[in-house]
Amino acid sequence: MPPVRPPPWLLLALVVGSGCDDPSAENADPAESRGEAPVTTSPSPRLKRLTDPQYRRIISDVFSEDVQLPANLEADERVEGLFQVGAATTAISSYGVEKYEGAAYDIAEQVVDSPVLRAEWVPCDGSTLDEVCATDALDALGLHLWRRPLSDAELTVVTDLAVHAGETLGSFDAGLQYGIAALLMSPHFLYRVELGDGPDAPADGYDDWEMASRLSFFLWDTTPDATLLDDAAAGRLTDPDALADVVDRMLADPRTRDGVASLFSEMLHLDELDHLTKDPTVFTYMSDELGPSARTETLTVIDRHIFDDDAPYPALFTTRDTYVDRTLAALYDVPAPKPEGFGPIELPIDGARRGLLGQASFLALQAHAASTSVTRRGIFVREVLLCTVIPEPPANANTAIPEVDADARTMRERIAVHLEDPTCASCHQITDPIGLSFENFDGLGRYRLTENGVTIDASGELDGDAFDDAWEVGAVIARHHQLAPCLTETLLQYATGASTEHLDDSLLDWHTDGFVAADHRILWLLRDIALGPAFRGHSPVE
Amino acid sequence: MKPRFPLSWFPAARDWRPARSALSRRAVLRGFARGSAVAVALPPLQAMFNAGGTAYACDGVLPVRFLLWFWGNGNLPDQWIPTTTGDGDAWALSHQLAPLAAYKHKLCVPTGLDCKLDNTSPHGSGLAGILTAVPRIESGSDSVLGGPTIDQVIAQGIGGDTIYRSIQTAASNTSGESWNGPNSRNPAETDPYAFYARMFGDTFVEPGEDGEVDPRLGLRRSVLDAVMDDIDALNARVGAEDRLRLEQHLTGVRELELRLARLEEDPPDLESCTRPDEPTGDFGDIDGRAQVRLRNQVMSELIAMSFACDQTRVGAHFVTNPVSDVLFPDTTSGHHDLTHNEGGDQPQVDAITVQLMECFADTIGILDAIPEGDGTLLDNMVAFATSEVSLGQVHSIEDMPIVLAGSACGYFKQDHHYRSLSGENVTKLLISLQQAVGMSTVDFGGGAAAASGGLSDLEA
Repeated sequence: MPPVRPPPWLLLALVVGSGCDDPSAENADPAESRGEAPVTTSPSPRLKRLTDPQYRRIISDVFSEDVQLPANLEADERVEGLFQVGAATTAISSYGVEKYEGAAYDIAEQVVDSPVLRAEWVPCDGSTLDEVCATDALDALGLHLWRRPLSDAELTVVTDLAVHAGETLGSFDAGLQYGIAALLMSPHFLYRVELGDGPDAPADGYDDWEMASRLSFFLWDTTPDATLLDDAAAGRLTDPDALADVVDRMLADPRTRDGVASLFSEMLHLDELDHLTKDPTVFTYMSDELGPSARTETLTVIDRHIFDDDAPYPALFTTRDTYVDRTLAALYDVPAPKPEGFGPIELPIDGARRGLLGQASFLALQAHAASTSVTRRGIFVREVLLCTVIPEPPANANTAIPEVDADARTMRERIAVHLEDPTCASCHQITDPIGLSFENFDGLGRYRLTENGVTIDASGELDGDAFDDAWEVGAVIARHHQLAPCLTETLLQYATGASTEHLDDSLLDWHTDGFVAADHRILWLLRDIALGPAFRGHSPVE
Repeated sequence: MKPRFPLSWFPAARDWRPARSALSRRAVLRGFARGSAVAVALPPLQAMFNAGGTAYACDGVLPVRFLLWFWGNGNLPDQWIPTTTGDGDAWALSHQLAPLAAYKHKLCVPTGLDCKLDNTSPHGSGLAGILTAVPRIESGSDSVLGGPTIDQVIAQGIGGDTIYRSIQTAASNTSGESWNGPNSRNPAETDPYAFYARMFGDTFVEPGEDGEVDPRLGLRRSVLDAVMDDIDALNARVGAEDRLRLEQHLTGVRELELRLARLEEDPPDLESCTRPDEPTGDFGDIDGRAQVRLRNQVMSELIAMSFACDQTRVGAHFVTNPVSDVLFPDTTSGHHDLTHNEGGDQPQVDAITVQLMECFADTIGILDAIPEGDGTLLDNMVAFATSEVSLGQVHSIEDMPIVLAGSACGYFKQDHHYRSLSGENVTKLLISLQQAVGMSTVDFGGGAAAASGGLSDLEA
C-alpha cells in the first residue's frame, strides 16, 4: 500500500486535540500522553445505504413522526457483526427498489396532503402550476433529504418532473408528489454519498456537507438537523477548531442518546430479541413481552451508565444497577420496582446476577430454544466483547453433545468431550470455559443452583484469569486486556462502515490509548473518533 | 447498450498484511487465503422460443416454470433413500418421502449425487454446492456465496418476459438464500399479506378485466429515468466494489421500469388465471412455534397463481433456512439443535423431515390442482426441493437430498428413482434443470464443483 502524506488538516487537528487552546480544565485532553495522532492509511470511501431504522428516523425528523411508512423496507444485513458495515457492503435488491418506490410515493402523498407539512415546505397554494414554487419547495426539501444543496441541474430535473406530472394530472400538488418521490428514490438520498471528491473537499478529506452527514449518522443515527446544515454551509466542519465545538454541541444533544442506543443495539444484536424463540413448556417465564423488555433493560442501563453517570465502560459488566419491569422482575426473582412499566433496582449483593451479562438480552438470546448454549455464550463474549475470531468448526465433525446420563448430568460434564477431543478443543477451549460460567442461568436467564439434581460448578478462567463463582465472571471480563481495544475497533467500524482489515493498527492503538487514559469513558471515545483521522480523512477511491 | 445484469462478480484483491496478534479477529481475517476470482459466465439461451419470440413453448402454448423449494438442515439419508430404483411400480417411496405418495407419479428422485466442493464451512459449503456450484469466497471477515444461486441463473435465462423476473418467498422468518452474487441477496418475502399485495394488489389486472392505462404509470417511469441517470453519474465517482453494488441497484430500477411498462399492456389471456382470495388469519408463532405448514400453504397458493397468471416464471421458496432453529410441533428443541444433539436414530429429526415433506406435498398439490392445457401447472414446470446438507449431524454434503416434482413439460422422467452409484457431481443436476427450462447450458460451476453435461438418466 502506498504511503499517504499527512493531510494539512491533520496537523491542525493535533493542535486542537491537545486541548492547549482551551483553558477549561474539563475539556483538557486526559490522553495527552499518548502523543500525536499516527499518520495512517484511512479507509477508502464507500457508499453506505441507509439502514431501515435510519430511513424511518430521517422521515420522522425531516417531516413528522405522524408520516406512515410501509412495515418493511430493504432488510439490513450484518457484516462483521454490524449493520453499518453491511450498509457499506451489500447491494440494494430489485425487491428493495420496489419497496423504496412504494415508500417514496406514500411519503410524498402524506407530505402534500398534510396541511401542516404542506405549509412548512410549499410556499404557494397550488392553485396554479407555479414552477417557481415547485423549484423553491424541492430546493428546500432537497437540502434536507440529500444532506447537501442540489446543483442547478439536479434541481431542474426534479422540478421538471413535478411540473410535467402536474400538467398531466391537472394538479400542482399531485405533480409535486413526483418531484418529492424522485428525491426520495435517488441514490443521493438512499446512500450516504461521502466520497471526498468534491471541489471543496480538503485533500484526502471530506467536505463540509459530507462531514455533516458523517457526524450526524455516527452520533445521532439520523440526518443532519438545520443547525448542522448551517454549520456545513458556513464551512465550520472542515475548520478543526470549529469542528470540536460542533461535536461537543452534538454530544450534548439528546439525540446522541438515540445514536448510542443504535450503536449498542447493533453491537449486542438486540434487534434479534424481536424473534426470540423459546419453548414455553420448558421456560415458564417466557412471554411475547420478554424479548422487547430485555432490550429496554439493556439499552436503559447503557444509557444511564454513559449519559447520567459518565461511568467507565468496564463497569457495565460489574454493575448491580439495572432497570426492570414486572416481566423481568419475575424472571430475575426480584421485587418489581413499579406496578406498571420500568423502574430502577439494585440487584442483591449476594447474587450471581450482575452487569450486562446477567441480563436476559444476553442470557436468553445466546441460548437454544429449550436449553442453554455454552458455546453460543462463549462465542458472544469472545467475538462481540473481545473481538476474537472463532474459526468455523470442521464441517465433517460430529458436534453432538452426549445426552444426560448417570455419569454426565450437568452440561459441564457432558461437554467435557469437546475439551478432550483435540479436533474440538482447539476452538471449544476458547469458548466453552467462559460459556460454562453462565450455567447458573438457564436458557432464558433464570437463576438456578442445580441441573438434574447436581450442583452447578460455575468456576472457570478467561485467558489465565481464574474465578470460582458466576458473579465473578463480569469482573474478569471487565479487566480483560482486549475489552477496550475491541470497543474501539467496533466503534471505528460503526463510524466508518469499514471492514476491520482496512483499519490500521496504529490508529486503533492510538484511540485505545486515549480511551484508557480517559477512564474508559464512552462519550470521550465517541468524541475522539469523530475528531480523529479515519473519520475525517480517507484514502483515494479504489 | 449496457448489459441488463452484471455478468460476473470479482472479489476485490486486497493486500495481505502481517498479523497483529494470534487471536484477534483482524489478524485471522488478514491471514485468510483470499478466494481466487470466480467469474460466473451465464449461458446464452437456447433458441427455443415460440413464434412470438417471448417464451419457451410447452405444448406450443405455455411457458415452463421453475420453483426452488428449499428447507434447512437436511435429512436422515437412511430414512430418505428409496431402496429400489427404476420407474413406476419398480420403486417405492422411502419413509421420509412417504408424504409425497399422492404425487409419486409426478416425481423424479435422484439420489447418490455429491457436492464436490471442499466441505470447509458447515452448512455454507453445501449451500454453495447445491445452489451456486462455485466455491465460497472471502468478503471482509465473512465467507459468502461466490456466485448467483440457481434460481437467479434460471431467471437470467427465462425471467425476462414477465412482470417479475423472479420472486422469493419464505414460510418462516428468514431472508432466504437467493443471491445475484456476493453480498447481493434477493430477500424473501415472509409476510403472506405483503406478498399478496405485491402480486395481486392494486396493479394486478385479471385477464379480461378493463385494463385502462393509468397515466401515473408513465409518470413513475419518468421518475425512474431520472433515478437511473443519478445512478449512472454516481457510478463514475466510486470504486470497483461500489460500482458492482450500483450496477445491481440499476438492474433493480430497470426491472421496475420494465414492470411498469408491462402494466400498460393487456395481461396475457391465461385460462387458469384468477385473482386469488386475500389471505386471512394470523400467521405468527404460537407458543414459540412457527406455523410453518400453514405459512407454506398460503405462500404456495400465491406462488401457484403467480405462475398461472404468468406474473413470473421463476420462484425461490425457503420453507426454512440453513441452520434454522425453528421449533416444529411436538419437538423438544429447535431443528438445528436437534440435528446435532439428539441421540440414537434421531426420531425427532426424522419427524421434522417428514413434516417438511408433508409441506412439499402441500405445495405440489396446490400446483397440480391448477389445470393448464391438457395437464396441470405442475406438469409445465419443475419444483426442485433440496437442502444444504444431507445428514445434518455431521454436515455431510454427500448424497444430497433432492426431489423433483413436475416434468418441466416432459423433460424429466416421472415416477422415477435414479440412484447414482458413482457419486456423480450434483452440479450435473443443476445443468439438467437449466436445460429443462430451455437453456443451452452445458458447462456449469467452478472449482471442484465444475461439471459438464446434465444427468441424461433423468431425461424422459
